[in-house]
Formats: sequence, C-alpha cells, structure tokens
Amino acid sequence: MSDVYVVGAGMTPFGKHPDKTAAELGAAAVLEALDDAGVSLGEIEAAWVGSVFQGMAMGQRALGEGGISGIPITNVENACSSGSTAIWGAAMSIKAGMYDVVLALGVEHLTGAFRGAFTPDESDVEAQRGLTMPAVYAMRAQRHFAQYGTTSEQLAAISAKNKRNAVANPLAQFKKPVSVDEVLASRMIADPLHLQECAPVSDGAAAVVLASKRKRAALGGSRAVRLAASTLKSGRAEVGLKDMTVEDLTWRAAEEAYERSGISPSDIRFAEVHDCFSIAEALRVEGLGLFPHGEYPARVVKGEADLDGRLPVNGSGGLLGKGHPLGATGVAQVVEVVRQLRGEAGLRQIPGARVGLAHCRGGKAQGVEGTACTVNILTV
Amino acid sequence: MVSTEAATAVMKRPYEVEDGLVRLRAGRCPACNAVYCPARLVCDGCGHRGLEEILLAPRGKIYTFTTVHQSTPEFQTPYHLCYVDFDEQVRVMLPAAGEERPRIGEDVEIVLGTGPRLVGTEPEEGPHALMVAGPATGRDEDDV
Repeated sequence: MSDVYVVGAGMTPFGKHPDKTAAELGAAAVLEALDDAGVSLGEIEAAWVGSVFQGMAMGQRALGEGGISGIPITNVENACSSGSTAIWGAAMSIKAGMYDVVLALGVEHLTGAFRGAFTPDESDVEAQRGLTMPAVYAMRAQRHFAQYGTTSEQLAAISAKNKRNAVANPLAQFKKPVSVDEVLASRMIADPLHLQECAPVSDGAAAVVLASKRKRAALGGSRAVRLAASTLKSGRAEVGLKDMTVEDLTWRAAEEAYERSGISPSDIRFAEVHDCFSIAEALRVEGLGLFPHGEYPARVVKGEADLDGRLPVNGSGGLLGKGHPLGATGVAQVVEVVRQLRGEAGLRQIPGARVGLAHCRGGKAQGVEGTACTVNILTV
Repeated sequence: MVSTEAATAVMKRPYEVEDGLVRLRAGRCPACNAVYCPARLVCDGCGHRGLEEILLAPRGKIYTFTTVHQSTPEFQTPYHLCYVDFDEQVRVMLPAAGEERPRIGEDVEIVLGTGPRLVGTEPEEGPHALMVAGPATGRDEDDV
C-alpha cells in the first residue's frame, strides 16, 4: 500500500458569506489547493466531497464550478465529520492503489440553511422531546462538573483560549479576543454552556489534494506532509449505564490511528480537535489520551494547551474561534495541521511542530454514542 | 426471523399506565439481557433478532440534566431535560416536569404531562409527552 501525502491545501475564510453560494466557496477552496499542490485540473482522478445540509450532489456543483467534471465524485454526509470522512475515503482510494491524485473537499453554506440550535435529525425521538446538540453537551458537562469538580470558569477558559488563537488566524470567523468574564456574561444556551461556549453558524470550504508516494515524488518539492493514519469509526450502541464523560468513540478512532501510524499519544506535538462546545474540547483530548481523564479544564487554566504550552490544542481557533461550517470543518482541521507542519502558520506557528493530530467527531442519533469520528495523524 | 410483533413495537404508544404508574415500553434481548428504550429489531450486543417487550420501572434516578434556554425555533424555552437511569440498566432522555432545576442523583417518577411546548401553543394545548417528576413518592429522602 502506498503512503499517502497531502500535497496541497486550500481554505476560504470562515464566517458569513451571504454573497456566495456553497458551490462558489467549494470551488475557491479547490482551486487554492490545486495551485498549492502545483497540479492541474486534469490531474485530479477522483474526489470525495463532504457536506451536511447542502442537498443533492454538492460535489458535482462545487467541482463543476471549479472546472472539474467527469471523474468519480463521491458525496459524503456524516454529520460534522462529513469533510474528514471525505479525506478518509480519498486516502483509502490511494492506499488501495486505485488512484495517485485525489481531492477531498468539505463545504457548507450554513447561514443559508439553518437557524436556532443544531439538533439530531427531526425523526429522532430525543429530538422530538426537545433534545438539542448544546443540551447533549451541557448534560455531559454537568457530569464532568459532578465527577471531577470542573467549573464554569474552567470551561470558559477553553473558549477564551480558542478565541484568542483565532485572532492570529486571518481565516477565522472571530477577530476579537474574548475574556473568561465575557464568556460567562454571554447568555445561557443550555446550562452550563453560554453562547460564547458554542460554535457559531458559519459558511466556508476547505480542500486538500492527496497523492501517492509515486505522484508526490513526481511533483517534487519539499512541502508535502505525510498522512500517517486516517481512521473513521461510528458510535457504538448505548447499552447499559455508561460514563458520559468518557468518549469511547473518540478513543476507538484514535487507538486505530496510533496503531496504524506507530505514533503514540506522547509523540503528538499539537492537536486540532472538535470543540463544537467548550466541554467538547475537554472530552476530546481526554478521549484521545492526550490529557489525563477529568483534568483537562484545570490544565487549560494553567496554560498547558496554549500555543506556547506543553500541547497546543486548537491553535487555529478551533470551531469556537475559527467557525464551524459543518461539512468543511474536518478538512479545515487537516489544512491547519498541514500549515503548521510546513511552518506556514504565521503568528500562530507552533515551533518545531513535526507531528500533529486532527480529530473530528460529529452528530447524535438516538441509541448510539455519536454519529461518526475521524482521527488524522500527519507528520513531516 | 424478526417477528412482526417486534417490528411493529416501535409504532405503539411508548408507555403503558398501570395502577396510575407510567411505565416506559422497552425491549430486552432474551439472549443477553441488554435493554433498549425504545426497542430495536436486533440486539447490538449479541446480534439476537427479536427483543422481548418489557415495561420499565415507573421510577428512575437522574444521571444528568440541563436547562435549555435556546432550542430550535419550534420550542418555547426554557425547559429542563435529563437522562434518567432505570434499574433495568437503561438510560432514557426525558424532559423534566415543573420549574425546579433537576439534580443529579435525584429519584424521579415518570408522569404524563406537557413536554417542551411548541411555539404558539398554550400549556393545555401542548403535545403530551412523557415527563419526569421529582422527588419520587414513597422513597427515602436520603436516597438522593
């Protein structure tokens, strides 16, 4: 099986784009990724495209806008992990020896498609009883509070960190730092989560060009980043009374990624994780084995996850700071890891970054722990 | 074979009322005893097809909770939600009755009432939902 490399990365600014369509956003990210890779439109052999609320054939619409047609295009919906599932599919096709150059795109125009709190599918019995995504995480936060003594101030510090990081990211939706006090003063969405602890509604797109070892050599250059592992898991059925502060889904995706890559949690220099809510970041990094269970919020207060900390988390600003166009998010995380590993992250550059991890976990359906979770480990 | 009975179980009212006690309809795997609420066709744990219908105890314990202040545009806020653990080793998400904030570890009983209300409806017009009320009657206070 060939190693897989990210040879090109592109991403639109995240935020509100009322003057653009999803197809236009997608095409812009694709063209930037192609130019970054130095490959032409005709060299792309296949594409996987992730989106959630964009309707039929998002891939054909975006790639058509970008001058790509006729190749195999696979549209992927896997809740918030749609984009990263596209990367998983694209990487798998190279590993299988089917193709040498494959595109993965994530795209979402959410402001045109959505308002209010994000919920499971409307047919879901829990959604019909009033369950929202913020409520799911709020209830998990209440358990984290009860079991580990976590506080609202500590969770607010996670948001403040990510919004501070976003200021150093020109593509981020939020441009201003937000203090812990300001987070706590923002209106309550689902107790204990405040507005500033919830990812915003965003539009945007991100794309990566993946290549086989052979194609990477043919392209030359030294900016390729190796995709050491790309894993996908779905949530297991909820049987029995499980600890809701433990992310079995995240750990199973991570465990396979660590095994496949030969990279252990202690080798990870920095991580982009799915911080759809402040508490979510804690649940993710604890689930990934990057921080001891129950301790992450207190360690954020000590600065351990800052850009200059022991293990920077969401240096891009994360979903809380950079924005969360659902289908685009998983690809944007990988774009960020690639830019960090290339030393192209500007003011938010993590010195000496050689190994980075991207974690994307999405969705909720009645009776399962979560919809889907991906882990991508990248290295130079 | 999946029995027709099991296949149609999901279409039934999700609870039964016995002697004034509200009991949620659930499914138990006859092979490995795993309990699902609502029931499903096939046991995830062992793959057995066809769960047997059971009624859960009319009481449970609050595992966790939240108060929702912003929901989808359809629902009026605020309202309380909680996950309730039952002795049958199954956890169910239910709205909480009343204005009082639920507490972790609180014993509750299942009652029928008005769930989170749809925008534009009055309390008495709302759809009937399964609700959780606390504290449960006939339980020790120090059981919390």
